[in-house]
Amino acid sequence: MAIRVNPKIIDDLEGYGAEDVQLCYHCGNCSAVCPHADEFNVFPRRPMRYLQMGLERKLETSLEPWLCYYCGQCSDQCPRGAEPGETMMSLRRWLISRYDITGIARLFFKSTKVELAAVIIVALLTGIFFLGFGLWQGDINVYDGSNAFLPSSFIHNFDLALGFLVALFIGLSAFRFWWFSMGGKSAVPIPWWLYIKKVYLLPWHFFTQKRFADCEKETTRRIYLPWLAHLGLMLGYVTMLFIVMVFVKQLQAGPEINWSVHVFGYLASLGLLIGAVYMLRGRLKKNRTQYQRSHGSDWIFLVLLFIIALTGVTQHILHRSGLLLAANIVYIVHLMVVVPWLLRMPFTKWAHMFLRPLGMYFSAVRNEALTRQRSGIETTVPARKVA
Amino acid sequence: MRTGIFFCQVEENNRLNVTAVAKYAANLPNVETVQELGIQPRLDAKDLAGQVHSGNLERIVIAGDMPGYFKPVFTKAMALAGHDPLEVRLASFREHGASGSTTLERAKAIVACAAFGVPFALAVEPAKTPVQPTTLIIGAGIAGIQAALEIADAGKPVCLVERCGTIGGHMAMFDKTFPTLDCSACILTPKMVSVAQHEMIRLLTNSQVIALSGSPGSYRVQIKCKARMVDVDACVACNICSEVCPVEVASEFDAGIARRKAVYIPFPQAVPNAYLVDAENCLYVQSAGKKCGACVKKCPKECIDLTQKDEIIEIEVGNIIIATGYDVLQAENIEHYGYGILPNVLTALEFERLTNASGPTGGKIVAKSLKLNKRTKLEEWVFDANGPAPKSIAIIHCVGSRDQNYNSYCSRVCCMYSLKFAHLVKEKLPGADCYEFYIDMRAFGKGYEEFFERIKHEGTFVIRGRTAAISELNGQMMVTGEDIIQDKLIQFPVDMVLLAVGLIPAHGTEELSRMLGLTRDEDGWFSELNYNGRPTDTEKGCIYVAGMCQSPKDIPDAVAQASAVAAGVLSSISSGKGIGHRGSVTLSEIEARAKNLQAK
Repeated sequence: MAIRVNPKIIDDLEGYGAEDVQLCYHCGNCSAVCPHADEFNVFPRRPMRYLQMGLERKLETSLEPWLCYYCGQCSDQCPRGAEPGETMMSLRRWLISRYDITGIARLFFKSTKVELAAVIIVALLTGIFFLGFGLWQGDINVYDGSNAFLPSSFIHNFDLALGFLVALFIGLSAFRFWWFSMGGKSAVPIPWWLYIKKVYLLPWHFFTQKRFADCEKETTRRIYLPWLAHLGLMLGYVTMLFIVMVFVKQLQAGPEINWSVHVFGYLASLGLLIGAVYMLRGRLKKNRTQYQRSHGSDWIFLVLLFIIALTGVTQHILHRSGLLLAANIVYIVHLMVVVPWLLRMPFTKWAHMFLRPLGMYFSAVRNEALTRQRSGIETTVPARKVA
Repeated sequence: MRTGIFFCQVEENNRLNVTAVAKYAANLPNVETVQELGIQPRLDAKDLAGQVHSGNLERIVIAGDMPGYFKPVFTKAMALAGHDPLEVRLASFREHGASGSTTLERAKAIVACAAFGVPFALAVEPAKTPVQPTTLIIGAGIAGIQAALEIADAGKPVCLVERCGTIGGHMAMFDKTFPTLDCSACILTPKMVSVAQHEMIRLLTNSQVIALSGSPGSYRVQIKCKARMVDVDACVACNICSEVCPVEVASEFDAGIARRKAVYIPFPQAVPNAYLVDAENCLYVQSAGKKCGACVKKCPKECIDLTQKDEIIEIEVGNIIIATGYDVLQAENIEHYGYGILPNVLTALEFERLTNASGPTGGKIVAKSLKLNKRTKLEEWVFDANGPAPKSIAIIHCVGSRDQNYNSYCSRVCCMYSLKFAHLVKEKLPGADCYEFYIDMRAFGKGYEEFFERIKHEGTFVIRGRTAAISELNGQMMVTGEDIIQDKLIQFPVDMVLLAVGLIPAHGTEELSRMLGLTRDEDGWFSELNYNGRPTDTEKGCIYVAGMCQSPKDIPDAVAQASAVAAGVLSSISSGKGIGHRGSVTLSEIEARAKNLQAK
């Protein structure tokens, strides 16, 4: 098979944040210090090489970027300042835009201004829509029940519709991810039952992010703070998403507190706020290698998330303390941030929430397939022609 | 010629007022336009071509610290405008030494020369000065020795000053030289003896230059001769004093892997072949005569005088040669290699002493073993001639070199001495496995590539890839790295790891440069006048550099440079006139000379 080379790929990747790839002289230090590099996935050096050589196809099919949690050890020890960690981060951005069929992701990553403009436009439209809708059918001084400004049943249906849209796009991206790395474009024959054998890894990596905790390879093993913050943020986010999608009616009811639902809401809010503050503070102070260079999309991600959590908590407090007018206004602001946030999810950094565990799952499957291939065990599927 | 001058900087330079230089440049004859384009300007060849065309510029001068960086786009602009692209001149502040107190004047002169189209080096030629016949050489390693012998053999007096108790420098510590595998001592010691016996050489060991005054051609130098406390002429090196001395410290000559007494001789072939007392560690000296003094009582020749004081002498010299050499990088700074913590991680110099027949194990390559120190009652890792021979040895290249976290430059000799180590290991321990971890193999000299091939054929495993970390596992050293060629991660245990540590300027280089008024480059090595044309001269007249102190180089290069320096010194002595101080040439003199040269 002919190898197609895209010499412009390094220039292209500059827009995604990787600026120093050309400096690499391939000493292999980064791969050797990486706690996650294994027999089959020798990274970050291998992707750096692909980039320098312009092997776009190889990059598309590679899973390595998804195995990296960006602890920054490679960049710290790099003798050339080629920033391998940042390159892996940029490759994840690039891959998200590759998996995305609409081209929106590419547009957003390449220009923070475009993303910001899109967010603002959607936010304004949302604000106008909900304000008009609320005034038309309800009373701005009523938060819940009949004649409510924003009735929970309507919000519930609205959420579900939005969720469906997001799920559709993320599903498409996930399929393309599979197609690139494991399916049509892959050179490794993979028996179907391996997917089933390893499927437990999907929830495992999703909910524990165990490999992030492994990033810290030190003898004096304390809890690795970036992992804890990341996990708290992510678990808080998933919990919140779930209860808002399913239990929004119970959440909005009041003023008495429905503890069976709200306790999760409080925990989730705590996780979101602490996680977001920890990361924002880190990125402002640049106190860790992974916080040294923040892409525009990182800032939008964190700031929006922080506003969402803050307005969510505020409207809850206002509602319980009887300030219903204020609660409704904050609710509108909350929705103005939530809607663009949800809509842009599949096209931005957020997609890594699904794609990363998926990548780790795929990698485990592929690793086992390769091991079997090497040791000569026959796979049940006839081997495809290897390029 | 209608000239346009463009000031472009690669990075900020706070020491130079560019605007003042630009103002000066605007008043030069034939200058049409002067532009300050700032730091890293975005240059477009078409735009510039338009400017060249509208101003009808026949010559362009790019001025800055590194103007060559911007040359291509200006050359293209000249070509696009249909003018001679060769008329793009560079006014390089860094190359021509616009630094220090004369920065501004020098920068102006550099721009003026470029605008006149005259090479700066030609215009700044200082007047010759009368020269004293004596030459001072600072540092008596192989470069200093070579230069001293060349000059002395020509019948001119030399004063050779050495900081240590013996001459010979680092080369005396080596076992073999690459790539010929000659015995290092067999080349060096005859030269050392010649130095000692030469009637034209005044040898001052254990001494340091402390002050300099005067001008090129007649410098007055103050030299502090530290008290040796042993009469060099009377001492017969019988070793009795050393036997009775109660103090033990790490031996500098053995790179710290063996111990010596406070009264000692660095190595048996030392020149001068006499013992000396290390005043910092001598009990008698430190207690002001209250304690010890055992060596004085035992010396059969009665040649030890522990009350001797340091002495300062002053001499007048015409030329000065700096040959201060190098030190090796502190490997402790590189944490992930575990040097200083893991016992069997050695630096190159330590291994050099270990494998040397005059070293602590008599040349046997052994791993360190735990031994009880009877005095401190603690177990220590020491080299013991009866210790276990390592079965596998990993050699790691580029330790602290080519690494922006340590030294960004290549230390030039590490690849070759590492290959030499591999050979020595294979020669002395035929059954042992030897692994070379390298990034790029820099086998650049005569016979070097062939030496590399030979090492490969001897069965050394050559792995392209840098080792990232060394850890300990069951008493062995675990090496972790990536094999770039095979594209896989590797991790395996070895018995011993050798670090090919990079080179840094010798300690004291900074004070010396300040004392002599010499510039050093950003890595700390002495700056030569012109890397290509005048590699041994310095900015200051009648002061020369030779050997490693200018930049890392191997023995053949150091010797060649030392001989080249000797030629320069001898020519100045025999003509009676030496090069004056470049810094003394004023701006108006340079301008006048440039105009004169341009007219020709």
